[in-house]
Amino acid sequence: MDRIVFESVGKIFRHRPALFNWLGRERRGETTALKDVSFSAASGEVLVLLGPNGSGKTTALKLISTMLLPDAGMVRVGGFDARRNAGDVRRQVGIAIATERSFFPRLSAGENLDFFAALDEVPRRERAERIKEVLRDTGLEEQADTLVMKFSSGMYQRLGIARALVKRPSVLLLDEPTRSLDAASTAHFWATIRGLARQETTVLLATHNFAEAAAVADRLLLLHRGELLADRSLNDGENADALRSFYFGLTGEIDEASRSRVCNE
Amino acid sequence: MTSTLDKLRAILRRDLLTAIRHRSGFIVTLVGVFTELAAFYFLSRAIGPGFRPDGVEYFPFLLVGTGIYTFFVMTAQAFLTAVQEAQQTGTLEVLMTTSTAPAELVILSSISAFAGNLLNLLVYLVAGVAVFRAPVHANLFSCLAVLILSLAIALALGIAAATLQVAFQKGSALLWLLGSGLWFLSGTMFPIQSLPRPLELLAHAVPITYAIDGMRRALIEGQSIAAIAPTLGVLAGFGVVLLPLALAGLSLSLRRARQDGTLSFY
Repeated sequence: MDRIVFESVGKIFRHRPALFNWLGRERRGETTALKDVSFSAASGEVLVLLGPNGSGKTTALKLISTMLLPDAGMVRVGGFDARRNAGDVRRQVGIAIATERSFFPRLSAGENLDFFAALDEVPRRERAERIKEVLRDTGLEEQADTLVMKFSSGMYQRLGIARALVKRPSVLLLDEPTRSLDAASTAHFWATIRGLARQETTVLLATHNFAEAAAVADRLLLLHRGELLADRSLNDGENADALRSFYFGLTGEIDEASRSRVCNE
Repeated sequence: MTSTLDKLRAILRRDLLTAIRHRSGFIVTLVGVFTELAAFYFLSRAIGPGFRPDGVEYFPFLLVGTGIYTFFVMTAQAFLTAVQEAQQTGTLEVLMTTSTAPAELVILSSISAFAGNLLNLLVYLVAGVAVFRAPVHANLFSCLAVLILSLAIALALGIAAATLQVAFQKGSALLWLLGSGLWFLSGTMFPIQSLPRPLELLAHAVPITYAIDGMRRALIEGQSIAAIAPTLGVLAGFGVVLLPLALAGLSLSLRRARQDGTLSFY
């Protein structure tokens, strides 16, 4: 059974300028973040949403996490509708978003994780062990008792991942997870992701970096301006090459031939 | 139940740790309490013993009025600050993705805010009585009854401020209203009977007026629950109407923010 189902999902952000807009130049109108996007992800699958900035990757993750509600279509996680059964969906999903400072600055890393784990209903007797485990997995073991107001960008990013992992979600959503990580931490992180997938966790990862996507994905979804342009498995080397050429074409680095080849497949 | 208690423990621990790690916070609050009380004490002395609003001395009248009023304002402020900070840091979006339902989260967080503000109110009243010799004849059961019913109204006001912040990023508008209009309409510093008739009628529509009046009668005059029953009835009525309305408003504003993608706007 598919763990995540995205069915003809549409999302539009409407810009409503403030009163007296003639005093300034605030934009009115709307932005289509996702347009009729459909895909699904199975248990234990690592799915990568690849696309340049503004392609709708983060919006897709936020819709799955129930942070946002769709304007059209349906999002289901573990068989539950994200609109009607948001609570059941949230119990299954862990999300690490790109916002760096979404923590309580005067609590330590361990205290922050304990707080969020309590709200995620992680049993109290298991919490200390799990926190220790995720801090170790994200390389923050030595910073467990450091107030997070003293953290660097990379440490915030790792703590965000630790927070998503501590509830042991069946669906893990990651937004640009290695953006501020060094090469060694990145490699360690990919190993962790592959290990989670082996334990049947479904991982959905958003990135604009093709190399990152190719390094970890079982399947790759190519998004551009809210539209799903390609949905390909990376097990086939030919697929990967074609997608690479096409993606670099989208970002302005390659010929149109690759684009038509992928779109026509 | 175990899970809810565990969540409450986590929220209380977070707020306590944050408060004690703002090292100067406690001292500044304490100095503020004594400065305010001293100002009211000397104001009542300057006015003289002849001024006895509602038949009681002016200093205890001020002590209860300003104490209860500050409790309401600080509670609304606590809700608003919590939402504003969560929006600015991005914590609000993350909190909305935890397994805890938003309404449960708000109510549990409010218990923490109440605990802090109740402690402030207690320090304020005890200091007024012990240090500045305010004469009181407290009926503890009546005080407790007024306090419990006032909590429901303070909770509703706090949730309303949070709702305005989530919906329009303007929760401060309610604080402004509390700080200006409701301040003189609720009989904080003088009896509402001193107001012109239309304003006096308006004052009767403000729930804080009844909380202050009830607490004055329970704490200063020692009136029994039976004696203040009409005031308690009005307070209960406000609570029954305002609390569900505020919760429904918050639920609606959170849903709209999730639809519009404005949860983290501030």
